[in-house]
Amino acid sequence: MALLETRDLTKEYRVGDHIVHALRGVSLGIEAGEFVTIVGPSGSGKSTFMHILGCLDRPTSGHYLMNARDVSTLPPDELARVRNEMLGFVFQGFNLLARTSAVENVELPLLYTRSGVVKASERRRKAMDALDAVGLTDRAEHHPNQLSGGQQQRVAIARALVSSPSVLLADEPTGNLDTATSHEVMEIFKSLRRDRGLTIVVITHERDIAAYGSRTIDFRDGKVTLDVLHDETLAQPSRR
Amino acid sequence: MMKRWLSHPVVDLALKALTRNRLQTGLTLLGMTIGVATVLAMMAVGAGAQSSIEQQVRAAGLNQLTVRAGNWRPKAEDTGEAVAHQGDARDTLTLPLIPGLDGASAERTVPSPSRALGTPSRVVGSPDALADPDSRRPAADAVPIAFHPEDDPMEKHDHPLARQRLGDLEAGLGSAATLSFADAQAIKDLPGVQYVAGGVHENARVHFGSKRWFTRMHGTDVEMPSIKRGWTLLDGRFFSRREQEKAAQVLVIGQIVSDKLFGPGVKAVGQQVTLWNQPFEVVGVVTSSTWVVQPAPGDDQFDAVYMPYTTTHRLLNLSKLNDITITAASSGAVTKLARDITTLLRKRHGIGDNAPDDFTVLTQATKALTTGGLPPSVARAVAGNVAELEKVTLEQLATTLERASRTMTWLLAAVAAVSLVVGGIGIMNITLLSVTERTREIGLRLAVGARTRDVMRQFLTEAVAISVAGGVAGIIVGVIAAVVIARTLNWATVVSPLSVVLAFGVAALVGVFFGWYPAKRASQLDPIVALRHE
Repeated sequence: MALLETRDLTKEYRVGDHIVHALRGVSLGIEAGEFVTIVGPSGSGKSTFMHILGCLDRPTSGHYLMNARDVSTLPPDELARVRNEMLGFVFQGFNLLARTSAVENVELPLLYTRSGVVKASERRRKAMDALDAVGLTDRAEHHPNQLSGGQQQRVAIARALVSSPSVLLADEPTGNLDTATSHEVMEIFKSLRRDRGLTIVVITHERDIAAYGSRTIDFRDGKVTLDVLHDETLAQPSRR
Repeated sequence: MMKRWLSHPVVDLALKALTRNRLQTGLTLLGMTIGVATVLAMMAVGAGAQSSIEQQVRAAGLNQLTVRAGNWRPKAEDTGEAVAHQGDARDTLTLPLIPGLDGASAERTVPSPSRALGTPSRVVGSPDALADPDSRRPAADAVPIAFHPEDDPMEKHDHPLARQRLGDLEAGLGSAATLSFADAQAIKDLPGVQYVAGGVHENARVHFGSKRWFTRMHGTDVEMPSIKRGWTLLDGRFFSRREQEKAAQVLVIGQIVSDKLFGPGVKAVGQQVTLWNQPFEVVGVVTSSTWVVQPAPGDDQFDAVYMPYTTTHRLLNLSKLNDITITAASSGAVTKLARDITTLLRKRHGIGDNAPDDFTVLTQATKALTTGGLPPSVARAVAGNVAELEKVTLEQLATTLERASRTMTWLLAAVAAVSLVVGGIGIMNITLLSVTERTREIGLRLAVGARTRDVMRQFLTEAVAISVAGGVAGIIVGVIAAVVIARTLNWATVVSPLSVVLAFGVAALVGVFFGWYPAKRASQLDPIVALRHE
């Protein structure tokens, strides 16, 4: 049983008079512990797919199962809960709160846990753990404008990690970073997969970034055109 | 609920967000502050006007009632006689203007309006003659009052019929003493009653060394100073509740008595005087607090001595009260209270439906009507025929004044509330701006698991925080403004706890009301769209 499974997903938008078919029947299974990179030109539907995977959007038709549970029809508050507990997001533009310290940014998802309010001390401890995982404990009290782009993205990754999700979703995480920093960030993803068994889905349009994945999926015109499992030289993470 | 809200970390975040935009937050706060302060100051001015009107009404004694033992009313003809009231039991207003011809009064060393009853015009003209029931002494039909100042009151009360005689003659009401302390207690439990004081009245000769002074003795209650707004203590204190409970031999003396016995300016407090051959300690000297009433020999208030009624009861072996003085909490409620008291006492005294009252409820309106120098016959006619009307008129005047000033208060508050609305629009503005500015932040929050209600809560909290902070600042500024207005313009201002609570509550409500729409808008953003927002 795949951790994430989509069955014949379609998504249509109405833009003015005509209807845009962003997804035209996508059926995929992503196993726990996979590192999937999704590539494709703009308008290929990869972002839409990512939004549905991230429970930020619902498909027009088809089903999306997470741990065999159909989440495509859940009400908004339930989707929010899934996002909070199962998923971590990393964005191209970091989306850190300005004038808020790194550690406070990392704490953010813990403000919305459903299992009751997390105590401030507990929040701080978890946030510091997450910052430790991205190697930024010494910058915990810095504000975003005091951090480099790479550091900001690492704070964002720590934020995605803090609620111990099983899936990390990254939409063009290296889009705003230079090459060296991009590779640093991808290395972090790789180590997270290795050390924590995280399932990672990264959207990118750079082939060398896509090469970090254990599997690369090509999108074009709302359909999967290529789905390649890479020969992995590094040890396959234990499947649970 | 409130506690959970406050302890929620989102609230903390909302407050932090406010500090990010200090200037905007500050200006919005200022708008809110001005709104609340204006409302509060205006209400203070209004309430001040209201309370000063109320005070004047109270000082005039319009809220005062007296229940007197017995029930007498004058005959229509001025024959110098009074007859027992046989008529309608509900007609409780009585003006016993007709004094019995007191043969002894001519021999008085001190002509006193309250005692020299031979001249009715003086009775009418003297301020206290009508107010105080015991100043009237209508003669019982066949029994001429034979009282001589040199009579020893103690001796009189040794008489087997002493109690009867007190009721008949000294109480001056031509009736058995019908009022008891229990009656006073029962009246005290009625709604709308402020103070109650039972009274026993006697004439007494007070000795100090070789000097003696023949004066009025009032056995009264510790609450009397609260009732007598025109009183002030020249020296010492009024007797205490404890002294009343133990029937202590303590005496508060009027200024005239003090002057006559000790001499003007000589300290009377602490001295021992003798009354009915009993030693009494003088604990206080009382005088008038207003220039309107000047202590004069022979008046009933300051040419008088006061002791606990329990002491009077003990020494004179009495158990009844001559009268009960009551103040109503509101001057507008006197008529109702008079009615309630009548009902209560009729029930307590077991008076049948058709039997007349054995007491008289007298309001101060009567006094106000008849102290205008009306000829006694006219006053009597007025009092006799339009008893109910006159009682109502003055009271209605008071009620009308109160109502008018209350209306003014609300009018002022309503005008000021407009500025509160303007402040509220300011809050709406800053919250909307804050939502627009932080669209991406909202998208992010939604992405990491915030529910619509979490976002709603955050922005609503921001709005309410500003309005509440503005409310607190406004209350402070408003109170200061009220004080400044009182000092500089010499207007009475009253900041009531109610108006503070009201101002604060309205401020919080404004926050919720004007914060609702922007917060709702924020919470309904599509996370994807919000995240892409530039």
